[in-house]
Amino acid sequence: MTGATRTATRRWWHFAAPALALTIGFFLIPFLLNVYFAFTDWTGFTAAIAPNGLDNFIGLAEAGILGNAIRVTVFYAVIAMILQNAVSLGLALLLQRTTAFNSWLRTLFFIPVLISPLAAGYIWGALLSPVGPLNQAIGLVVPGFDFAWLGSGGSALVSVAFIDVWKWSGLVTLVYIAGLNAIPPSLIEAAMIDGASAWQRFWRVKFRLLAPAFTFSVVVTFLGALNAFDIVQATTRGGPGAATTVLNIAMFRQYTGGFFGSASALSLVITILVVGIGIPLIAFLRRREVEA
Amino acid sequence: MNEWARRVILVAIAVPWVGIPLWMLLVNSAKPYTEASRLGLDLPDQWNLVENYSRVMAEGNYAVALANSLLIAVPTLACVIVLGSMAAWAFARSRRVSMKVAYNLSVLSVLLPPAILPTIYELQVLGIDGTRLGYFLVMVGTRLGVVVFLATGFIRTMPPDLEEAAAIDGASRPQIYRLIIMPGLLPVLLVGGVILIITIWNEFLFALFLLRGAGAATLPLALYRFSSTSSEFTAMRWELIFAHVVLTSLPLIVVYLFVQKRLVSGLSEGAIKG
Repeated sequence: MTGATRTATRRWWHFAAPALALTIGFFLIPFLLNVYFAFTDWTGFTAAIAPNGLDNFIGLAEAGILGNAIRVTVFYAVIAMILQNAVSLGLALLLQRTTAFNSWLRTLFFIPVLISPLAAGYIWGALLSPVGPLNQAIGLVVPGFDFAWLGSGGSALVSVAFIDVWKWSGLVTLVYIAGLNAIPPSLIEAAMIDGASAWQRFWRVKFRLLAPAFTFSVVVTFLGALNAFDIVQATTRGGPGAATTVLNIAMFRQYTGGFFGSASALSLVITILVVGIGIPLIAFLRRREVEA
Repeated sequence: MNEWARRVILVAIAVPWVGIPLWMLLVNSAKPYTEASRLGLDLPDQWNLVENYSRVMAEGNYAVALANSLLIAVPTLACVIVLGSMAAWAFARSRRVSMKVAYNLSVLSVLLPPAILPTIYELQVLGIDGTRLGYFLVMVGTRLGVVVFLATGFIRTMPPDLEEAAAIDGASRPQIYRLIIMPGLLPVLLVGGVILIITIWNEFLFALFLLRGAGAATLPLALYRFSSTSSEFTAMRWELIFAHVVLTSLPLIVVYLFVQKRLVSGLSEGAIKG
């Protein structure tokens, strides 16, 4: 290696080093430590931390916390992902063309994206309360309707997942609009000339060519929902019973109880879900993009 | 579909989806307690606007939290954008194996969730747990990955000719970065920056674990503490919670009104791609 290229390499490191150091220091080291802490008896009561094998996981499973939290989290993420993409794709099809009217509505639908998930939780906590506007509207048809959307085991989880959808749909809609506008108009015209119906044009042409936007949106909404916390804490705090106790809520409870090892174990479960479901999901959707 | 039918459908969706929630928020934030507890969509019989908002200002820790949010979000965004794009340039242009490894380590945070408990442990060891400095460092460390990922992909599509020509003309690396790379990255940094500022400004989970005391609270944390005390000891004081929600959401919405045209058209032209 000549002196000049050696200097050049060193200069590249000057540029990469600050970002790399901060990422290693405040993301990677805690991330790796978590893999260790999940298998220790770390609590808020003693200073000593010692490995305890699978005790945290066994304890959480025997208390009925682990299995329930995994089920609730995956169910929440699946509902949020399906609803999110259905709503946003529908809105994108309606708002695809760039007109003054559509631009104005895109701006309007983006407002919930700016509101914090916590604030969105409080807003919808009121809208869905037994005396709230939704029940008032239903009450016009069904007098005295006072169903507790967030207070009933059956509907609470779907309701909080819906709030997640409401909060992010304005952004996902824009991703789909970008995808739709990247489709060459000549392909749609060709399909029309061949006599394809509106549904066929959507399902056989547009939806297939939307594959990259679809991959991005499905992955981001699903993985984001696995980390759910704010909306649940603002509305149900995990209840009624344990109906909406997602992993992060269970983790927060272990933490406030002083059981730091068990809290780390629940964090590790989220990581395992992200890797175990997320990576096969990305691989599957990418392969589908190539085929389409 | 007929243009008018399409417009009617869109308005029929937009009214309950965005209009009614925001309307409910605003009108009820101006009502007295008993009126607001009915959560009606009618205008207040008795206007309590000034009382509610001044009470939130006084008891909701608003001014301190706003200052803290600004103090944390603005430097976080600046650091993440500048340091992230600098690293991205190095990762995109260097062909060394060690740089490839460094790149892969840097972008892990795009996918993997950050671990909270060990973060607290580490900040305790460093003596900065519960402080705004600790929270700021964690925000930067967990969000750099997104910028590195977006910007590296973008720079790889930029031909290196311009940089090479500038180097031959005697420009230094920092000059090339400032005069060629930064301006070239502007479209992707603009969109990435907007998504980052929204998520940093609204971040709650880490704030709840990492910030101690009212003096260090950010806006979401102040809203949470204010609402929790109201709902735990008495019935939900919706008018006060709503007034706090309005005040907490306002800064971002005001900024949005200035940049919305550019932002919405930028996003819908496909600035983010997987």
